[in-house]
Amino acid sequence: MLKKAAGGETSGMRGGRLRKPPDMDMAPLIDCVFLLLIFFMVATTFAPLPGLRVKLPPPGKPSAEKPKGLLMRIVNPEPGEKEGVMVLNDEIVAMHEVLGKFLNTPVHLKNMLIIQAERQVLHEQIVKVMDIAKRSGIDKIGFAMVARGP
Amino acid sequence: MNVSRREKRKDTALQMAPMIDCVFLLLIFFMVATVMRIPPPFQVELPDSKERQEFPRKKFNLNISADGQMAIDDQVIPNLDELSVFLNKNQTKIQTLIIKADKNAKHGVVIDVMERAKQQGIDTLAIAIREGEFRGD
Repeated sequence: MLKKAAGGETSGMRGGRLRKPPDMDMAPLIDCVFLLLIFFMVATTFAPLPGLRVKLPPPGKPSAEKPKGLLMRIVNPEPGEKEGVMVLNDEIVAMHEVLGKFLNTPVHLKNMLIIQAERQVLHEQIVKVMDIAKRSGIDKIGFAMVARGP
Repeated sequence: MNVSRREKRKDTALQMAPMIDCVFLLLIFFMVATVMRIPPPFQVELPDSKERQEFPRKKFNLNISADGQMAIDDQVIPNLDELSVFLNKNQTKIQTLIIKADKNAKHGVVIDVMERAKQQGIDTLAIAIREGEFRGD
């Protein structure tokens, strides 16, 4: 089509010079663009990333008052064990009992759960406890940490 | 009849320009929308959870391996002080710090990271969990 347009006998002549016919080959460019398009289409993921939201408290000194609510203490797991012993408000609980305990907690105590876990406790166990807490309607979860100077 | 048909066929020329315009537009859209998944320098097996919220995929995900190594995307962070420096430098770009900690990572390391994030003014974190359906115990 382009050749036909450029091949006009009179239109090609201007000022005595023959204008070069515009014969740029677009095909390789289009091939590249298609390849890039396919690459980006395959590489793009629109699915959001699942996770658990953690909102940290505002900066400032931690209050000396003991907050009311549930306190879950988790000790380091024994060698060979995956999960450490959990103590919920001075009572030893197993993982399968935690949901029931949380659900049976009076509403006024259910506003917050504080997780006080030792350093060697596995992250998976903490996520399990957080999951159960969120499922049973506790939306504020706090992590206890040792106060250190600046 | 036969001749006119042949002539018609000759005149049919496919207009490529609008298609190329569309393809370029699509290309630009996908290039802008793509957030490359940068694999961490170590393997991270995320914990599972039934309760889950959704977060947009962004850059600057903090990976923590089972043995306590840290990396932001594919850049290894050797210690917590380096992490503080990095977070301070990129604080404005990070609205939610996504912590991708291995399920066998120690809670102590995760808490240290949370503490550093808070010190640098990042107060919204997300603990990444395994993608896909909840498998349960």
